[in-house]
Amino acid sequence: MNFQSLINSLQYIKPEIVIAVVIVLVVTTDLIMGKNKSLLPWISIAGLIVASFFVIEQFSFKAVSSNANGSIGMITADPFGAFFKIIVIVSSIIIVFFSLSSNEIKEAFERHGEYYTLIFGMILGMFFMISSADLILIYLSIELLSLSSYILAGFTKHSLRNSEASLKYIIYGGASSGIMLFGISIIYGLTGTTNLYLLNSFFHLPQFGGFIFWLACILIFAGIGFKISAAPFHFWTPDVYEGAPITITAYLSIASKAAGFALLIRFIKVTFIDSVDASGYWQLLNLIDWKSFLILISILTMTLGNFAALWQSNMKRLLAYSSIAHAGYLLLGLAVLSDQGLIAILIYFAIYAFMNLGAFFVVMIIANKIGSEEIDDYKGLGYSMPFLSFSIAVFLISLTGIPPTAGFIAKLYLFIALVDAKMIAVAVIALLNTVVSLYYYIKVLKNMYLVRPEKEMPAVLVSPAAFAMLIVLLVPIFLFGIYFTPLVNLAKSSIGLMGF
Amino acid sequence: MLTEFGKIFIFMLTAILFTVVAIFVARLIRPARPTHEKLLTYECGEDTIGSPWVKFNIRFYVVALIFLIFDVEVVLLIPWALVYQQFGVGGFLVGFIFLFLLGLGMAYEWRKGDLEWIRPELKHSVLKKTKTEKQILKEETVA
Repeated sequence: MNFQSLINSLQYIKPEIVIAVVIVLVVTTDLIMGKNKSLLPWISIAGLIVASFFVIEQFSFKAVSSNANGSIGMITADPFGAFFKIIVIVSSIIIVFFSLSSNEIKEAFERHGEYYTLIFGMILGMFFMISSADLILIYLSIELLSLSSYILAGFTKHSLRNSEASLKYIIYGGASSGIMLFGISIIYGLTGTTNLYLLNSFFHLPQFGGFIFWLACILIFAGIGFKISAAPFHFWTPDVYEGAPITITAYLSIASKAAGFALLIRFIKVTFIDSVDASGYWQLLNLIDWKSFLILISILTMTLGNFAALWQSNMKRLLAYSSIAHAGYLLLGLAVLSDQGLIAILIYFAIYAFMNLGAFFVVMIIANKIGSEEIDDYKGLGYSMPFLSFSIAVFLISLTGIPPTAGFIAKLYLFIALVDAKMIAVAVIALLNTVVSLYYYIKVLKNMYLVRPEKEMPAVLVSPAAFAMLIVLLVPIFLFGIYFTPLVNLAKSSIGLMGF
Repeated sequence: MLTEFGKIFIFMLTAILFTVVAIFVARLIRPARPTHEKLLTYECGEDTIGSPWVKFNIRFYVVALIFLIFDVEVVLLIPWALVYQQFGVGGFLVGFIFLFLLGLGMAYEWRKGDLEWIRPELKHSVLKKTKTEKQILKEETVA
């Protein structure tokens, strides 16, 4: 037993420690200050900024913690994880600002302490998901993330839609995490270990494979697929996204999905890698055909997301299906199974975070003003709320992937990776899907600009705080659309996973 | 050859067989003379009153949860108390953090009024609300 090696391992979880301390601080402040909740968001933001310093430090790490007996531990610290943690932190800071101007959250004023505590619970879960190298820790962190988000999805207690969302989420989530745990138990039964690195060395032995092994991997994928809302595990997405408070919807669609993708990439790359060749293509062990499997899932996901979005009349549902479709594009980047595909995923996520958060933010402000999220109620908004309509137009065009917005760069790198890997047919299918998505994004713009409102709408001004927030979200969309070299360089330097 | 799981399987099998055999043998050799009193639902020797399917006050669950937390605390603290001398200050700090978090949870329950049997009503602050759907519909019909 070596207590010192445990203490040494603490250096790999500095950001997580900061987040845990902030949880305690938020709860304590909430208890001491009583009715005055105005301090909580600022404590949260300060905590996130402190955590981001430690995350930036992790860009120079490439290490895995060790257990008390010297074997490989549960936590890794590497640039790949740091990149995803930065995405989580940035979206969390933006979500805290969202919450300040969301009427739904303001109305549940007396429960603000719980709101920020649970958000930090989610962040802690996501951080551990991103950096865990052990199936047990993966399961625990997914549960931590899920339990916090179940409660947050039903945060405004008195709304019926809210409770429905929360209940559906908890039922789907409980089932899928049970399925995942079953898969993990089979893997443990086959190998006697849950550590991803040890599993990788076990899988090099010739006796692995066969139906049971295949089943276990599919079951684990089901658990992760639930988090990233990949078809056919996506059924919860539209209902939960529609019912949950819009700040939480935006958060689930970005941070939770980013953590899920980080986990999936780490699971596939660390566990099944055989070697990486000179041009950056991953040679996986010949156990499961991950490539065909991922291509199948991603095409299913994006086609289903895009075609279901065509019929939506509610803005939040539309964005929910669009986020399913984007999960499909992102899975394609993983299906390439190369470093180039990984770079494409990182770029895509960084840009997707800004454009999706932006779209949800504008929907929230419009809902605050007109009390509706129906697309039909957006008629003529282009004239009464010119700036808001312009912003949502930019975000939706960027989500489609039309230049000169950043969404174009994201899709460009993805398609280049696909074409370089000679997956032309898949690239064509993805391209056709993008064309389909153009229709439903543009339908919103048509309602805002080309249809006259049924009644005269008064001109509405945007509050200065919301205006500043929109500018913060709009600038990267244009900046990365034209000058994207820094982002690409950052992504190129962050593809290093521990061990490879 | 027996694996570790195999041993557990035999253990489970023995447990199940033991119960089943005991009940079955008892059924074979005991006398069976049912009377009205013997067939009544048994509740600590008293006659039953009402249906068991009544609603419980949700506060029972809160108390049960608080009890569970402190129960688990004891389970976790006993092994710590046995070995913490070997770990010195570090071991003490680890235990202290655990106890602090539990204490914080307790303070939270207390402050939010969850230790009172009748929870004090939280006062809703008056906030400017957005238009609800009803208000919008009302305005539309007026217009």
